[in-house]
Amino acid sequence: MSEIVLETEGLTKYYGDSLAVDHLDLEIPRGCICGFVGRNGAGKTTAIKLMLGLLEPTAGSSRLLGCDSSALTPAIRQRIGYVTEGHRLFRWMSIAGLEKFQRAFFPKQWDDKFFTDMIEYFDLPKKKKIKHLSNGQRAQVSLALALAPNPELLIMDDPTLGLDAAIRRQFLEGMIGLIMREGRTVLFSSHILGDVERVSERIVVIDKGILRAYCSLEQFQEAVKKVIFTFADSVPNEVNIDGLLHCKRIEKQLELTLVGTDDEQIAEWAMSAGAENHTIVKMNLEDQFIEFTAPANQKRLFKWEER
Amino acid sequence: MPLWIQILPGSDEPIYVQVTEQISEAIARGQLASGDKLPAVRKLASELVINPNTVARAYSRLEQAGLVTTKTGSGTFVSDPKMRRSDAADINMLAERMDTLITRGLNLGMGEQDLIRLFESRLTKFSKKSNKRKEEK
Amino acid sequence: MRFSSLLHKEFRECLPWMLLAAILFVAVTSVLFQTETYSENNSYRFSRLSPGTVISSYKITFYPAMSETGPWLFFLSIGLGLALGVRQFWIPNFTGTWPFLLHRSVSRNTILAAKLTAASIAFACSIVPIWVGIYWYATRPEVFAVPPTFRFFIEGWIFITLGLVTYLGAGLSGLSTAKWYTTKIFGLAFASLIIITTFSQRSLVWVLTLIAVSAAILLSRIFDTFLRREF
Repeated sequence: MSEIVLETEGLTKYYGDSLAVDHLDLEIPRGCICGFVGRNGAGKTTAIKLMLGLLEPTAGSSRLLGCDSSALTPAIRQRIGYVTEGHRLFRWMSIAGLEKFQRAFFPKQWDDKFFTDMIEYFDLPKKKKIKHLSNGQRAQVSLALALAPNPELLIMDDPTLGLDAAIRRQFLEGMIGLIMREGRTVLFSSHILGDVERVSERIVVIDKGILRAYCSLEQFQEAVKKVIFTFADSVPNEVNIDGLLHCKRIEKQLELTLVGTDDEQIAEWAMSAGAENHTIVKMNLEDQFIEFTAPANQKRLFKWEER
Repeated sequence: MPLWIQILPGSDEPIYVQVTEQISEAIARGQLASGDKLPAVRKLASELVINPNTVARAYSRLEQAGLVTTKTGSGTFVSDPKMRRSDAADINMLAERMDTLITRGLNLGMGEQDLIRLFESRLTKFSKKSNKRKEEK
Repeated sequence: MRFSSLLHKEFRECLPWMLLAAILFVAVTSVLFQTETYSENNSYRFSRLSPGTVISSYKITFYPAMSETGPWLFFLSIGLGLALGVRQFWIPNFTGTWPFLLHRSVSRNTILAAKLTAASIAFACSIVPIWVGIYWYATRPEVFAVPPTFRFFIEGWIFITLGLVTYLGAGLSGLSTAKWYTTKIFGLAFASLIIITTFSQRSLVWVLTLIAVSAAILLSRIFDTFLRREF
């Protein structure tokens, strides 16, 4: 297994009495794009801020590039790119001014040509001030600022929130472009499952601060499924099957949403419960995510070990 | 040889399956002939804006199915049809898939002859292009 | 290079307030001095007295225009301190730029030091030279019958340093994430207390010591808060 560049151990954060992040355990290896998904208020921003040492954990710890998050040294920070939530940049600065400001903190590794090309590609005048840019343009500047230093680890907090499809695509292109270089790692949170599906190799799902899934995207897609059982006379009252998320009864049919249950187990259960037949319904990632994070009959952590 | 692949995020099929199926279809239709080189993994990933690992996974699926062969150092090529293996399990799966299609057709009220005609007319779409390529050669 | 980049950013943010304070101060003092020239009071100037004129000693020891600049200096200095404190430590809470600023390849201490340096430069480049200029002008021969004393000049400096104390107090309150009725108020309340105490004191040495000590306390609190605070 390759080197771990981002690691959290029992990372926990309380705001007063409310729990924002609950014992988060993650290990992200070098060289992958990791999509970080969760519903609004699930604790994604808090987790990211904890990783970057902007918040102090109530318990547990996290490490970026082997350095504890609460004591990130300037040398380590220089290797990490961070795109903040909402792309909050200094409003009074011009694009050129921000470029100069940012470049000073990445001596040697700043790619002048890359930044200029990117700003030209986005068709933005460098003299324009941030406050006169639209949300999408500000996001583009923010992306260029984060990519130009060629960071080893790039962390983006919901970078495509509220952006149009074309700009979202540019963010995806930026991530793919970065990951093509040797040893780069990206962690990005997003609400748009289509984007996550497109570029991520692994996904992290958190819900109400609790880690619900951390695995490869493919494993998640294979694991969450819906099965419809048809019964001759009546649907059984008790459903006792591993990995049950939801169950719904419609006359003589029973609809189960399952996670991590393999087809053999399903067939076995269908036999034992006396179902006439059963069909496995394919789900897309968005439906899987919604079912997976919806208030459940029975919650459980879904985590796959490295194959 | 342009290879046109369309990615649909949010579909029931994972992206690597979409890539695998579209390349398989291109091979079946003769748009990709044996010996043709597939685009490099990284190049295709950048063009489609998908994770390079997804492309690599699709290529390895194609290789498992015997549709392509990877020559280290020079790339991935469409393999010779004669070399493609097809075991009983593959044919069985194909038969099962056909079953679902036949069921649909019968449910739509089509007769046996209708189904056969439909099957033949679809088949020409694949053979025409492969014939054309053969003529060119 | 990193520090100068930070300093440049911070100073540019202080610049409008610094210029505003300087322009106001110059405008006010020139109006005050101008009014004096055209009023009856200009007879207090030796240069305008005809030989043999008898004036009361009360009149020649008094320099009204000069003393009227005092309250203006006080209010402008406090105002500048408040404005800079708010600009540097409150506004980023609302604009949400803290995360971007703090993810730098420098320590938090350096980021804070750049802020404090920028504010000090803003004071040093606006109110301070103008006050020195006024004193220099007023002590030139033939401007006032009796030139302002050095103590008068030092009292102006007390106002300026009170402005800095206000800046630190406002900054500390801005940084605090506590509720208003608890410790958040501390910075501003402490600064106000120092200002009030200063006015009730006559001894210059005592006053200067008080200001130095209170500034040191606020400074250490600011460093402490900035290093521990969550953003």
